[in-house]
Amino acid sequence: MIEYNESEQRMVLKLVYYGPAMSGKTTNLLQLHELLPHEGRGDLMVLDTTDDRTIYFDLLPFFIVAPSGLKIKIKVYTVPGQVRHDATRKAVLQRTDGVAFIADSQLSESTNNLASFESLENNLALVGLNIDSLPLVIQFNKRDLKTVVEEGDIHRTWGPTGIPVTMASAINGTGVVETFSLLVDRLYDKIDYRYRLADDHGLEKGMFLQRMISVVEREGDE
Amino acid sequence: MMSSQERLSYVVGEEKRLREVLADGEVSPLLQGLVRAGADNVTIVDAEGTELWAARDIAFAGEPLVALPLNLEGEPVGKVLVFGDGTARPELPAMGKLLALALNTVITNNLKRILTTEIHTTVVNTSFEQLVEINQQLTQSEARYRELAESLERRVNERTAELKKAHSHLLQQEKMAAIGQLAAGIAHEINNPLGFITSNLHTLQKYVNRFGAMLYFFRDQQRLGTSIAEVRELSDRKWQELKLDVVSADVGDLLSQTLAGAERVSGIVADLKGFSHVDELGVVAVDVNREIELTLSVLSHQLNGTVEIVRELQPLPPVKAQPAVLSQVFLNIIQNALQSKAEGLRLTLSTAWDGNRIRISIADNGPGIPPEHRGRIFEPFFTTREVGEGKGMGLAVVYDSVLKLGGTIAVADAADGGADFIITMPLNKE
Repeated sequence: MIEYNESEQRMVLKLVYYGPAMSGKTTNLLQLHELLPHEGRGDLMVLDTTDDRTIYFDLLPFFIVAPSGLKIKIKVYTVPGQVRHDATRKAVLQRTDGVAFIADSQLSESTNNLASFESLENNLALVGLNIDSLPLVIQFNKRDLKTVVEEGDIHRTWGPTGIPVTMASAINGTGVVETFSLLVDRLYDKIDYRYRLADDHGLEKGMFLQRMISVVEREGDE
Repeated sequence: MMSSQERLSYVVGEEKRLREVLADGEVSPLLQGLVRAGADNVTIVDAEGTELWAARDIAFAGEPLVALPLNLEGEPVGKVLVFGDGTARPELPAMGKLLALALNTVITNNLKRILTTEIHTTVVNTSFEQLVEINQQLTQSEARYRELAESLERRVNERTAELKKAHSHLLQQEKMAAIGQLAAGIAHEINNPLGFITSNLHTLQKYVNRFGAMLYFFRDQQRLGTSIAEVRELSDRKWQELKLDVVSADVGDLLSQTLAGAERVSGIVADLKGFSHVDELGVVAVDVNREIELTLSVLSHQLNGTVEIVRELQPLPPVKAQPAVLSQVFLNIIQNALQSKAEGLRLTLSTAWDGNRIRISIADNGPGIPPEHRGRIFEPFFTTREVGEGKGMGLAVVYDSVLKLGGTIAVADAADGGADFIITMPLNKE
């Protein structure tokens, strides 16, 4: 559901960080904000929170310009994880172009992960999106904790689904960029297929990824 | 080729232009402040270079002293242009930077507020719509349940009425059955005397013929003018021939027997009439003891010789009741007792009055009623007999009738192990 305006040479993309309450969605965005270069990126906007719980959403916008002059804005949102904010989740999830599902690795959270993933499936269907064709990655966060589900078990469970899974400890900044890269990689494939980013706009996947994620310093825009 | 405009509406986070995020009232004072501070001209242009806001002292000319970007979600959407004499006013570039910083901060804060409002409104609207929908569903289901409850009550009432009708029909049938049984017994009772009355009358008919023959003999002899001596001799022979000695001796017995039989029949009819109370259908003053006696007498054919009847009837004041109902009660209880024991049955009927109530007890020496059945014997269709032998309505009729009389009925153990039905009736004074 990419928003594309040919006359203005603008494209707006939307990514959503979804997952159960307290699984570290906002922390992921805070770390991306810290780790990724400042140019071509807006500030992280954290809408109202109560006791560190997101009640609306967080927004981290990216802005890049393709060699053809095509302006691409990528807005990364988080949703509130608490069950009671389902209406907000649905509103934010509307028209998304990709989802990162942030799961809590703690053994005690398995049920919540599952319930949240089911709510993701339901809500995607409700807003008219097909989970099978949507760029989707799963991040198992909080790997730094002790009582966590074993990695082998996670791969055994999620392997058959074909959904890429990453391990992270967002609080320490590990795995955060990897998760985002995987999602952006899939997002590129999806829009390139339809809007011929490489052929028509001179925006190769490598360049797209580099502009979006390069952690090291990069050359400024012309 | 894609359509040139592919706009889709977002619920939240729709793309905004600088004009939508910044208000004139927020921008103008800042620009004017900088002009007052010494700038010649301060202009804000969009990404295409079109002027959006401006404050000027001197007409815009030459190159801007500073040109700083305004960002909306990381995208450069405009520029702050400050014109002036940089030499005369060396602080202008720094003030320009300050202005850009202030405007960028206002943009971020306004955007945050707009997004918050958008999401909040969306969620509230969605929740409201959901609530309205849920409310409608609840109203509908409530209406459905109310309708169901109403029709349920109606259906229960209908079924109850049907059951009541069926029940009273059954009670009526049972009364008819009891009366039918009684009628069969009484028919037998009447048939017996009628049998010998008929037989006697046949014999008497023959005897009358013989007497006639004797009389015709005398008339014929008289007409023939036969001599007295000859007539005497002939008539003796004829008398012998017709065995009139025996016949004369028998006639008396036959007639008295026949009369006794006829009296027995009229006695039975009188009992039956008394028992059925065909003449008194309404509530009258009834002597309970008399009703018991009437019941015993209509049942006499079943009781005589096989059942020992013990009467312990004390004088009772008259009771206001429908006598037919009362005799029905006694009939059914006694018939029930008769079915409990084939031989050697003893029935003890006792009545007593304690000044307030009449107590009637009908006890037998049959097998009695086991305690587990006592709570159920008055229920319709409860029977311990084989299927087809009893409908289980006899005692239900008794219970119904006693209730109608305003009394109570219970069953207890009789002294010799049988059942003792105890009826208590208040003496209704009017």
